[in-house]
Amino acid sequence: MTLTSTLPMIRGVHNSPLEEYFTSGHRTCQGCESALVMKLMVKASGPRTIVLGSTGCMYVANTTYYSTPWVVPWMHTQLGSAGSAAVGTAAGLKALMNKNKIKDEPINIISFCGDGGGADMGLSAISAALTHMAYNHLILMYDNESYANTDIQVSGSSPWGANSTFSPPGKLHRIMNQRWKKNMAPMLAVGHPGVKYIATACASYAVDFMNKIRKGLKYSGPAFIHSYDPCPKGWDYDPMYSHELGMLAVEAGIWVQYEIEEGKLVLNGPSRMIAQGRRQRKPVVEFLKRQGRFAHFVDEDVDYYQSRIDEMWEKWWLPGVIPLFNEAGEPKG
Amino acid sequence: MAVTAVEVVYRGIFQKSLSRNICRTIVLAARKEGKIGTAFGRYGDSPERNGIPAKYFAIVADDPTELEETLAAYEPKEVAVTIVVDDTLCKGVESWAWYGLQPINELTVEGGTVLVTSIQPEEDLVKDMHVKDVPYNLSIIKGAKSFSGLWVYKDDHTDVRILGALAKVCPNLVGLEAYVDTIAEQSDDELKAHSARRAYDRVSVSPVEPGQGNPEEPFSFDKPGWTKMGEAIVIPGIEVGGGFRGGEGGYQPVRNDVFKKFSTRTMRPVINFETCTKCTLCWLQCPDSCFDVTPEGLYDSDMESCCGCGVCEDVCPVPDCVTMVNEEVFDDNSSQHDHWKRDRDGYMKWLDEMIVVAKSEKEVGAGRSHGFREWGEYQKQIEMTGVAGDD
Repeated sequence: MTLTSTLPMIRGVHNSPLEEYFTSGHRTCQGCESALVMKLMVKASGPRTIVLGSTGCMYVANTTYYSTPWVVPWMHTQLGSAGSAAVGTAAGLKALMNKNKIKDEPINIISFCGDGGGADMGLSAISAALTHMAYNHLILMYDNESYANTDIQVSGSSPWGANSTFSPPGKLHRIMNQRWKKNMAPMLAVGHPGVKYIATACASYAVDFMNKIRKGLKYSGPAFIHSYDPCPKGWDYDPMYSHELGMLAVEAGIWVQYEIEEGKLVLNGPSRMIAQGRRQRKPVVEFLKRQGRFAHFVDEDVDYYQSRIDEMWEKWWLPGVIPLFNEAGEPKG
Repeated sequence: MAVTAVEVVYRGIFQKSLSRNICRTIVLAARKEGKIGTAFGRYGDSPERNGIPAKYFAIVADDPTELEETLAAYEPKEVAVTIVVDDTLCKGVESWAWYGLQPINELTVEGGTVLVTSIQPEEDLVKDMHVKDVPYNLSIIKGAKSFSGLWVYKDDHTDVRILGALAKVCPNLVGLEAYVDTIAEQSDDELKAHSARRAYDRVSVSPVEPGQGNPEEPFSFDKPGWTKMGEAIVIPGIEVGGGFRGGEGGYQPVRNDVFKKFSTRTMRPVINFETCTKCTLCWLQCPDSCFDVTPEGLYDSDMESCCGCGVCEDVCPVPDCVTMVNEEVFDDNSSQHDHWKRDRDGYMKWLDEMIVVAKSEKEVGAGRSHGFREWGEYQKQIEMTGVAGDD
């Protein structure tokens, strides 16, 4: 059995590790939150880490033209194969350790994919990977809500109504993306009860984010984290507000922060306070109005968006997590 | 028989629509004069990233055969006019797909023109541009840079003003009347033709002599070539860093030394080391890991890797401790922490001046232009200040 890492929880920003294992000189946008996700991910996991990356912004921007900002070993894998690459790498290391070809020590395997690679193309491979309990790895889906690398096409994770290359608002039809965002983390949690760690995260909360990475690596078997990444290019906002928009999405209740640890669900940070009634949700318009991708919205669209978020918090069986109702349309809990 | 090419050098995404509008209108206007042309973005710039310098080209020919011959080349090797839609690009551009820094005037032909939108005086721009061994002209369209984003366009007449000025500096490409007719077809706004004509009348043109400008050799690297590439495309990783400036304390990461990203920057953070509370947020939240940690726990932004996103200013809890200042006022990438250590009083005096520069910029018009901030903001800005260059 390969060992899992025993990295301690980081208590406060001042205890963040100084070392960078994803450093400067990547070809990402100004204010790219997904680049921050990469940086915090390996800052938390440390030097004994192998990173696998599906095609997407974080592949193309970080390893093109024969140069890279990666300090730890990194390998590209195809768009839909974050899950397969994770299992294959874990199995390979395990075999080498069993045959005494390499030292038996904890080596962290993190496989990342974007929302296109994860929520769309790679979903079946991720699902398969989450059923192989013998292999330790963490799959991280960085979700910038579109196929951002190829200039912003709609993915299964794009929000309702957002402008994109595939959903430009027109004079006759204002709302072209009629689909609601996929709820990835609960879908995987409900469908794969053997997985010991599944979480949602946002790099605007850096310490919480790094600790979630460490927890994901601590448990034996597979783990999954869904990270919410504001994207200045696709969401169309001044890059200095990446951090603020991540927090705003949480404070407006659009993005819900939680972790499911050995079957126990715990909401974190502002999401927890909202659920406990200790904090008011901010109106979603505060979040929407700061992005060019929603600039075509009229009051009716804002109201609809707000009503869907209200429903998620007020009517779902588990607020923000499980959208189940009984026959009368009432919440179950 | 003639083929004329022009390029627009712009900030990725922020000015993508602007550059496309300019190049497409050139080609449509050329048709009115019985010529033929094509407009395209440089392949190597795609996928475009916010702020990273990119290029759009327009090529106009007298007949289709000539145009086809030109298009057999990947991109023009020389251009009659280099249009620069953000004056901080004059310091040189490190684009997505190239190793090293390219002078802004690299493709400009002898006797050609670099046409810049700027509020800087001519001599400041000449100082920024790398020296050339042939004479060329510098033309300035007076106005602030126009930034927007992928979905919402800031229609402040910058595109038509550039076209008007282009008719003046390069009349053999397309004449003013063809532009004005095309602009009238594309928009109901009659003021646009007026803006184009006025830019034609007002654009300044002055010669730049060989040897005038920035004498520095722009940085470049050896490209490995396929024979030197490793099996399975193995790229050497970066070494893990060590102490600050090679010492025991603090931390300084090793960085990618063939892509530096600083030419992406239109503003840079200046730091008040004396009010800093060492809260770590600028360092921790920086997507580009550009802050070095000093032994005393301060954070010194490495100006070769900072791309000027401004996240550090936004997360800093102390007023005026991190301030984003327009890149045009700086001449080099030297360390602010070194400056402060060497001469505290001098640094603090300089810092105060920088903060004044930043604040006065925020007051001009409706604030600095760095992309979309709120629904309706662009319209408000245009209502407040008039269309660009209106006076």
